Amino acid sequence: MIVEIKDLYKSYENGRIKALNGVNLTIEEGEFVSIIGPSGSGKSTLLNMLGALDVPDSGSITVAGEDLTTSKKLNEFRATSIGFVFQLHNLIPNISVRENIEIPMYTQGLSAGEMKSKALKLLDDVGLKDKADIMPNKLSGGERQRVAIARALANDPSIILADEPTGSLDSKTSTRILRQLIDLHEHKNVTLIIVTHDMDVAKLADRVIEVLDGEIISAGDDSLINSKINV
Amino acid sequence: MSFLKFILKNPFRRKNSAILAIVGIAIGIVVIVALGGITEGLVDTFEETIHAGGADFQISGKETGDSAYGTNTIDASWTDKIANVSGVDEAYPIYVVLTSVGDDYMNTLIGIDPEGTTLADISMKEGRIFEDGADEVIIGEIYADDNNYSVGDTIDVNREEFEVVGIYESGDSNMAGGVFTSISRVGKLMDDEDSISNIYVKVDKGVDAQEVADRIDAEYGDNITTITSVMEMEQMADMLNMLQASTWAISLLAIVVGGLGIINTMLMSVFERTREIGVLKAVGWSNKRILLMIVGESLVITIVSAVIGSIIGVVGCLALASQIGFEPLFTAKIFIQAFIIAIVVGIVGGIYPALKAIRLPPTEALRYE
Repeated sequence: MIVEIKDLYKSYENGRIKALNGVNLTIEEGEFVSIIGPSGSGKSTLLNMLGALDVPDSGSITVAGEDLTTSKKLNEFRATSIGFVFQLHNLIPNISVRENIEIPMYTQGLSAGEMKSKALKLLDDVGLKDKADIMPNKLSGGERQRVAIARALANDPSIILADEPTGSLDSKTSTRILRQLIDLHEHKNVTLIIVTHDMDVAKLADRVIEVLDGEIISAGDDSLINSKINV
Repeated sequence: MSFLKFILKNPFRRKNSAILAIVGIAIGIVVIVALGGITEGLVDTFEETIHAGGADFQISGKETGDSAYGTNTIDASWTDKIANVSGVDEAYPIYVVLTSVGDDYMNTLIGIDPEGTTLADISMKEGRIFEDGADEVIIGEIYADDNNYSVGDTIDVNREEFEVVGIYESGDSNMAGGVFTSISRVGKLMDDEDSISNIYVKVDKGVDAQEVADRIDAEYGDNITTITSVMEMEQMADMLNMLQASTWAISLLAIVVGGLGIINTMLMSVFERTREIGVLKAVGWSNKRILLMIVGESLVITIVSAVIGSIIGVVGCLALASQIGFEPLFTAKIFIQAFIIAIVVGIVGGIYPALKAIRLPPTEALRYE
C-alpha cells in the first residue's frame, strides 16, 4: 500500500469551510487513480495532503512509508517520492527547457553533467529532446505540459500527483498528454493520481474516487473500473 | 546548470527593476569610492608635505623659531645627543646655507649625509645621490627646469665647480628649487665644519613621535627646539578624521538607501514569482535553498553595483582631480570597504524578502495568480 489515509480532517477559515471531512482512503503501489468531484469538493486539498504541501487538522496520512502528519522531512519527501504536474505548467521562463527539468535535481546532489544527461533522457521520454535548449515560451501549451511531466519525473518519484493536467489544453493535446502520463505510469510502474473534474479523463484510471463536500462518496472499486475509454 | 548559474541568471529577468536597483546602490558606492580616494589623497599629500620625507620631526636651534629651514646654526655635536635619546631611530644633520649657485646670486644649498637623504622630502628623478665629500650636487627639478641643467652638467656653487649627478623631485616647492650636496662639503665651503642648521629625526617603529619630541624638549629645551610638525599633523589628522567620519556617514546612508532599494526590488521579485516559489517548494526545495537563492540574487545585484560604482567613482574622481590639480589615492582599503558595504546591503536587503518567500504556504503560492 503506497497511500493510507485515516479519518483525515482539514478545514479553513476557522472551521467554517470543511475541505476534508473524515476521509479514509488506500491506494496500492503502481495504481492509476483519478479523483473526481465538482469545484470546492476537496479533491485538490486531498491531492495537496498526498503531496505534503498541506497538513491536516487531524487524522493520519502515510504516503510511500512516510507518516506525513509527524514527519519533519517533508521537503526531502517531496523531493524524492512525489512528482507534481499542475494545471498550468509553471515552467521558469528565463531558463531553458532542459534547465527547468534540472531544477528538482538540485536536492539530489548530482553533478551538472549528471543532471544534464538525466534531463535529456527525460526529455527523450516525452519526445522533446530536440527542444532541450530552447526557452519555454517557444513551446506550445502541450509541449510545455510535457516538459512539466518530465520535470515531475526528474527525481524518479514513486507517485505522480497531477492536478487537472489537461485543464488548460484542447482535447487533442489533452489526449496526447494523458497518453504520455499513462505510458510513463505503465513503463516506470509509477503510482499515478490525477485530480480532474472531467469524467472522460477520470474514466481512464484503474479506479475513480468521487469526492463531494470533503467526503469520499465512492472509492471506485466497482462501477467505473471497467469502463475505460481508449485514448 | 549549477545552482550558482541559476542564481546569476535570475536577477536580470526584470531588467528595468534590476537596473534601477543597481543605479541606486552604485550611486552610494561612487560616493564612497570617490570620497575615499579624496581622503586618502589628502592624507598622502599631508604626510608627504609635513613628514619631510621619512623624518618624523626636525630639530633646530632655539633662536631659529619655527622655520624648518632656518639658517641659524647649532653645534654639530647635537646630532649624537639627539641620536642617543630613547625612541630615536635615526638622526641626520642638515646644513642649510644661502649662497651663490649657478647664475643665481643666492639660492638654498642644503648639506646632508648621502644616507640621510631618505629622511628628506625628496626622491630621485634621474641620476644618483652625491657621494660624501665629493664635488657633486643633486638639484631640484624646478631649479633644473628653470636653468636648463641636466645630469652631467657643471654648476658653480660659491665660486667652486660641482658636477650635477642627479635631479630630484619634492612635494615641497622650496626644496624642489634647491640644491643638495654632502654636509661635509657644505662645511668645507662655509669653512665651518662644526655647525649644522637642523636635525632630521626618525623615531623607532611603533613609538609615538610626539612623545619623543616632548622628551627632547624636556631634556634640551633650553638650547634647541623640536619643529612640531607632529602637532600640525595632529591638527590635520583631526580634519582628516572629520573627512573620514563623513565618508562613513555617507556609507551608512548608502547602506540604508541601497538596502531599502534592494529590499523593494527583491520583494517585487518574490511577489512576481510567488507561483514559481510554490513550484520550487513542491519539487522539494528546502527553505534554506530558497533563502540562499533570493539572498544570492540580491548579492548579485549589489556586487554588480559595487563593480560599476567603483569604476565610475575612480574615473569620475580622476577626471575631477585633473581639473582642480589634486591627486586622489585609491587604496585597496577603499575598495574593500565599498565591497563590504555592497555585500552587507545585499545580505540585509535579501533576507527579508527571502523570509517572506519561505513563509509562503506552498498551496497558496501555487494558487497565486
